[in-house]
Amino acid sequence: MPRLTYNIAMVSDFFFPQPGGVESHIYQLATKLVDRGHKVVVITHAYADRKGIRYLTNGIKVYHVPFAIIYRSATFPTVFSFFPVFRNIMIREQIDIVHGHASLSSSLPRGPITRILTNKLLKFILSDVDHVICVSHTSKENTVLRAALDPVMVSVIPNAVVSENFRPRKYPPEPPAPNNGFGNATPAVHHLGPNDPVVIVVISRLFYNKGTDLLTASIPRILENHPNTRFIIAGSGPKSIDLEQMIEQNVLQDKVEMLGSVRHEQVRDVMIRGHIYLHPSLTEAFGTVLVEAASCGLYVVCTAVGGIPEVLPSHMTVFAKPEEDDLVVATGKAISALRANKVRTEKFHDQVKAMYSWDNIAKRTERVYNGIMGDIPEADFYGYDVGNTAAWNGESHSGVRSFALIDRLKRYYGCGVWAGKLFCLCAVIDYLLFVFCEWVFPRDRIDIAADWPRKIYHSDDDD
Amino acid sequence: MAGTGIRQSVVGPYSTLTPATVLQPLDRLTTSPRSSRSHLAPEDAFNAASPPRRSGGFDHSSNNNMSLLRDTVASSSGGGDVRSSRRRESKFGSRSRSRRRKRNWKKILWVRQAYPDNYTDQTTFLDSLQRNPRLQPYEFWPLVADTTVIVQQVCSVTIFVVCFVGIFTERVSPVAVVGWGSFATFVGWAVWDWWVGQKGEDEVLQRQNSHRSRGAWQPRQDGGSASANSTTAPTTPSAASSVTNLGSTERTTSQGNLTAMRSQHGGSVTSLHSNGSHNSRLLDPQDGLRHRPSSPLRSGRATLRLSTIKSASLIYFTILGLSPILKSLTRSTSPDSIWAMSFLLLAINIFFFDYSGGVGVKFPASLSTNAALMASTVLASRLPSTGQVFSLTLFSIEVFGLFPVFRRYARHRSWRYHVALTVLLTVGAGGGMGLILGEGGMDGLLGVLVGAFIVIVAMGASSWWLIGLQKYKNAMNGPWDQARPIIISRRQWEYD
Repeated sequence: MPRLTYNIAMVSDFFFPQPGGVESHIYQLATKLVDRGHKVVVITHAYADRKGIRYLTNGIKVYHVPFAIIYRSATFPTVFSFFPVFRNIMIREQIDIVHGHASLSSSLPRGPITRILTNKLLKFILSDVDHVICVSHTSKENTVLRAALDPVMVSVIPNAVVSENFRPRKYPPEPPAPNNGFGNATPAVHHLGPNDPVVIVVISRLFYNKGTDLLTASIPRILENHPNTRFIIAGSGPKSIDLEQMIEQNVLQDKVEMLGSVRHEQVRDVMIRGHIYLHPSLTEAFGTVLVEAASCGLYVVCTAVGGIPEVLPSHMTVFAKPEEDDLVVATGKAISALRANKVRTEKFHDQVKAMYSWDNIAKRTERVYNGIMGDIPEADFYGYDVGNTAAWNGESHSGVRSFALIDRLKRYYGCGVWAGKLFCLCAVIDYLLFVFCEWVFPRDRIDIAADWPRKIYHSDDDD
Repeated sequence: MAGTGIRQSVVGPYSTLTPATVLQPLDRLTTSPRSSRSHLAPEDAFNAASPPRRSGGFDHSSNNNMSLLRDTVASSSGGGDVRSSRRRESKFGSRSRSRRRKRNWKKILWVRQAYPDNYTDQTTFLDSLQRNPRLQPYEFWPLVADTTVIVQQVCSVTIFVVCFVGIFTERVSPVAVVGWGSFATFVGWAVWDWWVGQKGEDEVLQRQNSHRSRGAWQPRQDGGSASANSTTAPTTPSAASSVTNLGSTERTTSQGNLTAMRSQHGGSVTSLHSNGSHNSRLLDPQDGLRHRPSSPLRSGRATLRLSTIKSASLIYFTILGLSPILKSLTRSTSPDSIWAMSFLLLAINIFFFDYSGGVGVKFPASLSTNAALMASTVLASRLPSTGQVFSLTLFSIEVFGLFPVFRRYARHRSWRYHVALTVLLTVGAGGGMGLILGEGGMDGLLGVLVGAFIVIVAMGASSWWLIGLQKYKNAMNGPWDQARPIIISRRQWEYD
């Protein structure tokens, strides 16, 4: 039986050339999906010097569509103005699956009003999707709760890291020399000498929600308890001024080094200078940076918030509550454990490599695609607890969601007293726009884009 | 192993742990041939009607399956409510399952588990959801008690309006208004000064007992100005806090006060020697020596009073000088605009007033105070003579600037004073309204009665309404929310 391949459109506000987490996520996922024989098109908005169509490595096609930018390169959900172009691309590329990427609640200002707005918008967006992919179980719970979704139509697929880019300092270079004799040896154990300083690395944007206040309050106390310790802080943001004040007040210039913002490709170089990675964030869906740090062979101290407790096993991490005292205690524990050479940090890289890889992520994403396209049986995809959840929600699950206009309108209407009507109005206008487009730009007049030759994916070993 | 193979082929690589899997051959026998769903979940037994998508002959046979399932698997559970019995069943079933399926689902990401990505674990999903975690249910009488601060403010505004109408219609002499007002202000100030002195002594006593354990890191609950004395010795609480409170009332001279006080901090510390006899430890010479100031006794308070009087006279003469200008300020504006505007400004005063403020807040609700002073200015500009303008402006400063400080202190001091003040204000406002709306003394009495009735009804009704609204509160919190950091530090971190 030939493997089923799809034409996939990844839609996101965030894509290269702008650097960032979502951007590289899309790129890595797209690359691996292309490797598996799919066709991937990325649709994003135009950047200053980048409009139109670009090709990336591996035959990924990128559409930079010009829109207006409202906040930190996030575009307004321009349902109507975007639609004709979107329809054109969909037909031209013969898209089967639209995969949207977004990071919610990270860059939005908080407050009851924005929270209501975000909830409603989330509901609006997610009322009409087949499936949702979250990066952690906690984030799945949140999504199910906020958008009132059926839990079986929400999958949890974590982020991954390119572990080759995050190797520890003394890791044997890859590929290992064939006749070396050391080829398969585990990396050398590096013990911490009694007088070597323990270096703590912090790489984070310095915002309130990243817990910079906690960091500012804890650093003097950690240094007081453990004088032979150094801090390296990379990142910039509005809270950096607090950190600098703290350094000056406590005269810690020779113990705390502030690097300012670093580019993503430099992160590894900063990380390998340290022994401990400290992550005091107040909210985090997944925390890719933790995986990167562990991959670099750092012992991780982090606050147990959001999805963080799910990410790394306990022998790589020390968890703290988001409290100043607890963070100080946890860091102290980590320092003592390192001083006693109890933590086998040299093994972390290989362990992390086995935990998170883009190949695996792409495979799991493909299963979601198969499921929503109906290529694996519904019972398989939605599993045994179909009955459970139907009883739970009183609503049929997404596999048999009807996409007739009237049913979609019903779902939108259920979003809220006022919001429901507004959403219905939007949907109706969008539908009329669609009919108008069908009439003005008929389907058969749109050229079909020529495809790249598809890759043929051979091994599908079940790991 | 053959059995496992069949099971996998039907259920998929992530097959479930439900008893249905065990009973699968049985399903095959009883159900008619179907395309995709050929196995049952135990829930089918209980919710035979609910899944609407079930098609074909399945509906008819499911009842048979249900009874079979219940007999074979759930015989031990013996009824009970559906959810709990289901849970017990699945536990029961898991024991008889094959070895490979033994591992339970865990809420972790670093291990690839034998469950699909969209698996939802019924027992742990949304386990940590909290509904209204920080909800404190309101109670009726405390709420009613809390409404008194609003009543006080509304009554103060009413009294001010009554006085204006009285002056405007020339029923009341402006000198009488400002005279009585100033007299009341002076009495209030004297009482306040006495309270502050007492409180300072109490605080010093308390401070001495605790022996300034953590020094400047100690959070100050009474809100002394942190900028003034967080860096200096912590033994000047009363001085600093009184400076702050004065500063809020007399902004013009607060800076001078501050420096004056800082040079001789500890004036009130020494005053404890006068009444510290009930605590013999305080007379310990070591202690006394350590805190003995260089300045003479009580001079701090005296300086404070002197500067208060100075600033009071400054304000007095400023208003006196400004009155002729104020008188003609809005001559070209039509009266109805003025009435509308002053109504709006007084409404702003009421809505933006700082009802929650503690005694140490530095500039509470500046918008509210400014709105009220502007209202009084535009109202005063309607008055015909300079004397009237002067009286009303001074009176407005007393009512809107100084009186709230006193009220806050009275509430802080004793609940009884607070209630007495509320009753007094209600009577004053009601009586005043009665007098200006009606003719004689009987109308005033009627006004008092009507005012009291309105106040009581409003207090009760608003509290009851607020309690009724609580049922709409539905905050859902969980680990996905942004955590609130707990930081013990000298700086007061603002939580968002």
